[in-house]
Amino acid sequence: MEIRIQNLNKEYEGHRVVDIDSLTVRQGELLGIIGPNGAGKSTLLRMIGGLETPTQGEISYNGKAYCSEISQKMTMVFQKPYLLRTTVFQNVAYPLKIRKKNKKFIQEEVHRILDEMGLTAQKYQKSWTLSGGEAQKVALARALILKPSLLILDEPTANIDPSSIAVMEKMIKKINEEEGTTVIIVTHNLQQARRLCKEIAFMYRGKIKEKGDARRILYHAQEPETSAFIQGELLI
Amino acid sequence: MREIVLGVKGAIELLLSFDQEIYQIIFLSLYVSLTSTFLSTLLAIPAGIFLGLFHFRGKGIVVRLLYTMMSLPPVIAGLVVFLFISRKGPLGFLGLSFTPTAMIIAQICLITPIITGLVYNGTKDKGQHVKMLGKTLGANRFQTLILLICELRLNIFTAVITGYGRAVSEVGAVMIVGGNIKGRTRVMTTAIAMLQNMGDYSKAIAIGIVLLFLSFIINGVLYHFQQGE
Repeated sequence: MEIRIQNLNKEYEGHRVVDIDSLTVRQGELLGIIGPNGAGKSTLLRMIGGLETPTQGEISYNGKAYCSEISQKMTMVFQKPYLLRTTVFQNVAYPLKIRKKNKKFIQEEVHRILDEMGLTAQKYQKSWTLSGGEAQKVALARALILKPSLLILDEPTANIDPSSIAVMEKMIKKINEEEGTTVIIVTHNLQQARRLCKEIAFMYRGKIKEKGDARRILYHAQEPETSAFIQGELLI
Repeated sequence: MREIVLGVKGAIELLLSFDQEIYQIIFLSLYVSLTSTFLSTLLAIPAGIFLGLFHFRGKGIVVRLLYTMMSLPPVIAGLVVFLFISRKGPLGFLGLSFTPTAMIIAQICLITPIITGLVYNGTKDKGQHVKMLGKTLGANRFQTLILLICELRLNIFTAVITGYGRAVSEVGAVMIVGGNIKGRTRVMTTAIAMLQNMGDYSKAIAIGIVLLFLSFIINGVLYHFQQGE
């Protein structure tokens, strides 16, 4: 799915938190959005995901405005995922159930994805007994089972162990490469951005300051704010 | 102490002898309380979910009123219902005074705010998360509502059980609107109050044991459900 953003802004009580003139995320792109806290990254993702309405501007999805047909083709994973109060299996099966897929298909798909994510042992475990990393993996599995055209990830691997991060990154890459899913991920982990993303956008004070090839942004940034952020300098 | 021992002994004998009056009182109590709980649940669950999910002008006042109504003294509920349904009241033409229906109405007034308040609190905690999850997974509004009700099942169950507990153990309102008429509107709580006045402790304790037993069953079910969750 291709995303085009034009003159997008979002204000809260007169304070502009997102102000983007133009941004295009191509079909099959794996875009990382980096930037300091309060830059407006999560708000941007929530607007793309249809969870917030822009104050002004447009977001188009394959040339269309947000509608129920589009919402069926995209999904989001948050830093603190909400898991349903049921088993891991039922959590992962839920998106297929509401799409009225047949039982056999659901069983096969859930088993396949749980196996790929190393969650088979937790299949019948209640969601509230999972560790933080396991819960994140379940949330990602629940999103991936849909094989979405657009996958939006808001710091999905924050505060989890390296082995879980590795599994999640492998799955994100896989769906991007095999299914052509467009992926937008917000991360504070620059190493992760380097490992995962083809393109990186640096966001600062609500604006996209710079966007381009991941290695170029990380090693040869043109904007002084981008360099300062990457080198860990204080941004005011 | 001797009175209590004799009372318990007499109560057991009464229960085992299947005393018709006692069982009539027990069944009427269950009928009134279960009906009022069922009808209150139908009103309170949508109201609680609506309050928890949506923002509107004056919501703060509605919530404060709801919390106040949760601790509504039963005698006031009884008095208001009585004034409405008494012969000279606006609903006097319905002829509901001193009937089980009047008792059900009084209990509905009493427990609907309790169930609504508890469902509202649950929805406030989980509602936005579930709404957001539904949207991100492509669920439509109806599917999201069903999902929310499923997620709130423990809150709803606790709210209903709490409401039922309040209804079955309540005495002031049903005494005012029902009148404690033998064979018509006498329920367990009003019977206990009357028997205590008459000094018939055996019957009072017998009914008290049933009331406690019912309470134990209800709490047992709730505990079992919570453990399973």
